[in-house]
Amino acid sequence: MAETKYIGKTIPSKEGARHATGRGLYTDDFTLPGMLHAVILRSPHAHARILKVDPQAAREPPGVFTVVTPEEIEKKTHPFKPGRYAAGLKKAIPEYAGAIGKVRYVGEPVAALAARTRGAAEDALELISVEYEPLPAVVDTAEAMRPTAPLLFEELGSNLAWKGSLHYGDVAAAFNQADKVVREHLKIHRYSSTPLEPFACIASFDAASKKLTVWVNAQVPEVIYDALREALGLEDVRVIIPDIGGGFGQKIHLIRKYVVLISLLAIESGRPVKWTEDRSEHMMAAGHSCAQEFDVEAAVKNDGTVLGLKFKEIDDVGGSISTLTIHFTNKLNNLSNTYRTKNIFLEGCSVVTNKCPVIPNRGIGKPGMCFIWERMMDRIAQELDLSPIEVRSINLVQPEEMPYTTPSGNIYDSGDYPALLKRALEKIGYEKLKAEQRREREQGRLLGIGVVIGVEPGGRNAARDMAIFPEMKESPGSGGVNGATIKIEKNGTVTLFLGSPNCGQSHETTTAQVAADILGVDPEHISTSTPFDSDLAPWGVAAANSGNNFHLYDIGAVHGAASRLREKILTLAAHVLNAKSEELAINAGVVQATGSPLKKISFAELGKIAYGNQALMPKGFEAGLQATFYYTFPHGEPNLVPGPEGLVRAQFTFSAGAHVAVVEVDKETGKVHVLRYLIVGDNGAVINPQVVNGQIYGSAAHGISVALGEGFVYNSDGQLLTLTLTDYGKSSTMETPRIEVEHRPSPSPFTTLGQKAAGEGAAIPSPAAIASAVEDALRPLGVRVRELPLSPEAVWKLMQEAVR
Amino acid sequence: MKETIKVTVNGRTYVEDVEPRLLLSHFLRETVGLTGTHVGCVIGECGACTVILNGKLVKSCLLFAVQADGKEILTVEGLAANGTLHPIQKAFVEGYGLQCGYCTPGMILAAYYLLGKNPDPTEEDIRKGLAGNLCMCTGYMQIVEAVKEAAKQLKKA
Amino acid sequence: MIPASFEYYSPTTLKEALDFLSSREDVKILAGGQSLVPLMKLRLAKPRTIVDLSRIPDLNYIREQGSRIVLGSMTTYEQIETSALLQAKCPLLPQTAAVVGDVQVRNQGTIGGSLAHADPAGDMPAAILTLAAEMKAIGPNGERWIRAEDFFVGLLTSALEPDEILTEVRVPALNGAKTAYLKAAQRAAGFAVVGVAVCLRLDQNGSCNNLAIGVTGVGDKVYRAEAVEKILLGKRLDANFIEQAAREVTRGVDVIEDINGSKEYRSHLAGVYTVRAVKAAMQA
Repeated sequence: MAETKYIGKTIPSKEGARHATGRGLYTDDFTLPGMLHAVILRSPHAHARILKVDPQAAREPPGVFTVVTPEEIEKKTHPFKPGRYAAGLKKAIPEYAGAIGKVRYVGEPVAALAARTRGAAEDALELISVEYEPLPAVVDTAEAMRPTAPLLFEELGSNLAWKGSLHYGDVAAAFNQADKVVREHLKIHRYSSTPLEPFACIASFDAASKKLTVWVNAQVPEVIYDALREALGLEDVRVIIPDIGGGFGQKIHLIRKYVVLISLLAIESGRPVKWTEDRSEHMMAAGHSCAQEFDVEAAVKNDGTVLGLKFKEIDDVGGSISTLTIHFTNKLNNLSNTYRTKNIFLEGCSVVTNKCPVIPNRGIGKPGMCFIWERMMDRIAQELDLSPIEVRSINLVQPEEMPYTTPSGNIYDSGDYPALLKRALEKIGYEKLKAEQRREREQGRLLGIGVVIGVEPGGRNAARDMAIFPEMKESPGSGGVNGATIKIEKNGTVTLFLGSPNCGQSHETTTAQVAADILGVDPEHISTSTPFDSDLAPWGVAAANSGNNFHLYDIGAVHGAASRLREKILTLAAHVLNAKSEELAINAGVVQATGSPLKKISFAELGKIAYGNQALMPKGFEAGLQATFYYTFPHGEPNLVPGPEGLVRAQFTFSAGAHVAVVEVDKETGKVHVLRYLIVGDNGAVINPQVVNGQIYGSAAHGISVALGEGFVYNSDGQLLTLTLTDYGKSSTMETPRIEVEHRPSPSPFTTLGQKAAGEGAAIPSPAAIASAVEDALRPLGVRVRELPLSPEAVWKLMQEAVR
Repeated sequence: MKETIKVTVNGRTYVEDVEPRLLLSHFLRETVGLTGTHVGCVIGECGACTVILNGKLVKSCLLFAVQADGKEILTVEGLAANGTLHPIQKAFVEGYGLQCGYCTPGMILAAYYLLGKNPDPTEEDIRKGLAGNLCMCTGYMQIVEAVKEAAKQLKKA
Repeated sequence: MIPASFEYYSPTTLKEALDFLSSREDVKILAGGQSLVPLMKLRLAKPRTIVDLSRIPDLNYIREQGSRIVLGSMTTYEQIETSALLQAKCPLLPQTAAVVGDVQVRNQGTIGGSLAHADPAGDMPAAILTLAAEMKAIGPNGERWIRAEDFFVGLLTSALEPDEILTEVRVPALNGAKTAYLKAAQRAAGFAVVGVAVCLRLDQNGSCNNLAIGVTGVGDKVYRAEAVEKILLGKRLDANFIEQAAREVTRGVDVIEDINGSKEYRSHLAGVYTVRAVKAAMQA
């Protein structure tokens, strides 16, 4: 690349204009001729046997085309193949798109129907009669593990569906050498990112050609593609993904059930069928992050050095076996956080309960892992009477150790963690704040400062599962693959086909910046092909709006494809201009020979030749101006797949951020006010600062909201009490603090442009930062913060207990 | 039983027969065919469906279309004139006051209503003015900044 | 998400509206719809008939009437919030309206709808009770005035008969009384977990010679904190004394419990907000 005119700069958003004018196109915006509307009948019970489903009355009203019952779902579809997410499952348990025989959570889909209008469909839904035999609900993991507990899956013989452990280094020795062992019990609750657009899909089946086309707001085309082929036994499946109104992991997994059900309705009715989930359905059944509990022990030296870490985790995975271990396996991604500790033991227990199944969500298990480390750092500081900054500092991986191999085999590409921490303290004015806190405490004000640090892994490598489940001989998604195609049309327009859908991360803008610099055109003149279409897109397993894959696989692919196309342009231009390709430069879509102002040719002229004039092409030149490139990470070894020691690179790039939260606790009500929130981050070489900032602001705001109260609440019968965003406690503009961001990038030596991930990073340390700040505020009362959320009532109770 | 209603949307009048239970949000999206008005919740807690009805900012999912009979509606599609973005839209695009775009139409109309009443809002005013519109992507930072910038531009104009 | 089908009437006279009420079965009155429409979308309410009051002229006004101010039942929160007359003569209503829901809800929601819905966490009922307002109900047998203390009967239940329409709300012009409404708001929607409205007068010596405290969000209906009023009335309101008195705010009340607050926490919050609201009123 001659120069970077666009990479590193904020350019106007390419997606922005269509969204700001209401011209974005989301799945629910599409209408097909003859299209029917579907609704889903859901379980009102947390746990029950389905005795009988009688759809007769629902079939009668005119306008109702098709009703599918559990019996038909069982007969006409196949169960999903247990995928990677179900790793650890002791026994194959068939999972269908709808409940068969039993319901295991409130909202589990039982039946579905399609009618002429949504209103008629909802009317008819009330006519399906279902006879249930209610069973006792299991909502608490401790209760669930009792030998007498009712079983969710009789086949498993226990609600403890999986238990396993692994270790790195010599953990026993670390604990023997310790001056002290610091222990703590920690908890994180159930939450979700609640994308504003609920699930939606349209299915259209051409019975003559047996081709099924679906429009769906799924984040990962592969999940839908595979699910439809597996469940419906179809070969020819086309997945179109229009604009997505937010994903955050929520739209990766459970959405497949609904795409299958709606496709079944489309096949049965012979009509295209649309389904749009409503908010309450989303809250009860679209998936939650996992409630996690940790028993943690840290072996420490008196100076704060952490020699070893042990933790036992209990995951409340809800009423499905299809995402049994994801929150545990993800701990391998940031197992060491930013620290040098060599000896780590981790044990996981996955407990099924009568709650919504768990799903990937903004970092999956990573916020939990960061919470463990950062809570422990504060605890160690308290027990050793050191400052929490000191304890963190002494354990940080140092810049000169980069690239640094963690005990579990991750390779931290680059970074200067001490500098991030130092700059964060400097920028927030830590010493001054501490003095202010002391003064204000005397006046009775409860001010707290929380300082934490965390890594944000990027570029998923699914082979990490093989370290935990050695019986897996391979894992699809080991390393990743994704592609991109770039094309110059015959009129000179540049068109970009991305391998991934986009759910709000400005992929079109960012990739256009990269392609623009390589090809020598203005990003405005690059048109991105939307929506994602599996028939057209050059996609691979990492065509996933998840796993922080974009910066690695998509940017890598676009970079590769654009570089290839540039070569092709130069070869053709050199031939036409009778110049050497080394002498040529491209500027604003014109190829020009340096020093010869008359020797130039535009993309449009080249297009005319490449698509229509063999006589002007060099001999052996492949006509057309198009290039496709599939990217795999070229630095994947060592540890791409785990060896006997279990060393594996769970992800490939490591962004990092130091977070500082300054809070005030209302001592009367327990309400926490965030006075300042600062992030000093290293996201590698930044391609578009405003895009990266947006990702950081959004993920931080979510983590803060999670820490301060948003979350799902079930009662003891397994009824979900948080069916609306209001009850769920989502933060509005009024609860969300301003967030300050400063970049201190350490470019990755492993990536195309030095870039790292920025998708979910700030959601990883922010719950820990708030916990730390609240605990600091309540220090005069001796309060210890062990669990989230810190709702006003929860904080008030902590204060009450401390006073007692 | 259907009711005949006459509603003016973005300056164009529509006469339509509708079921009384048809929500205004669905009328706009399905009957009129303007899909920029989005739906993200059930009880009106998200604000994605926000429109301006006879000069007032309202949530179109909490109104029946029949209630809008004889009234005028401005949706996000009515803001840009002949492809030229309204200064608020421009500020959202240039300042990245949007990510997935789903809350954007409602957010922009809330900002439009706010700036119409209060051309020189403080950050607190802006946050109050947008409190009925949830965004899951942005943490509101760039949205609030975009509204500030739009206020500046509108005052200049 | 789509309500069950219903018949829709939008009468242009009150008489017509009353006729629909008495001649049709299972009728619901639609005012601003900010509470009713959500219930219908969830199909928790499935009325067969809807009578929309919005086309009846002259149900939307704020007027001075002697020593009182009268509001038409279709007056919106936004109109109340911005009314110069109310700000001058009955500021508790604008203070309360300003913190209801969000901009959109305030533009569409009406005082009559809010009162008739009798939500135990509603803001407006607290102010209405504190002001000892009166509600005019018109039915087949003519009109009657219902005192605020009789109006809120229980959970989502008002004293209105099914064939009656709430047309007007009458509040006293306060001429110098001090008022405040403060609430601990739920996240996102700003519903009151606890809300306290206060109206008080201080004499020249700083003693409280007139006091009303209305509490919402705490019981199954809005109520007057009479125990607190009794303690404070006639006394100088110093901080300690207010705090002591505020402990009585839930006396005799069966405090509700939900995801926004346990009994214990709500009771505590009610005390805290009583203190805060009394102090805020004193400084108003």
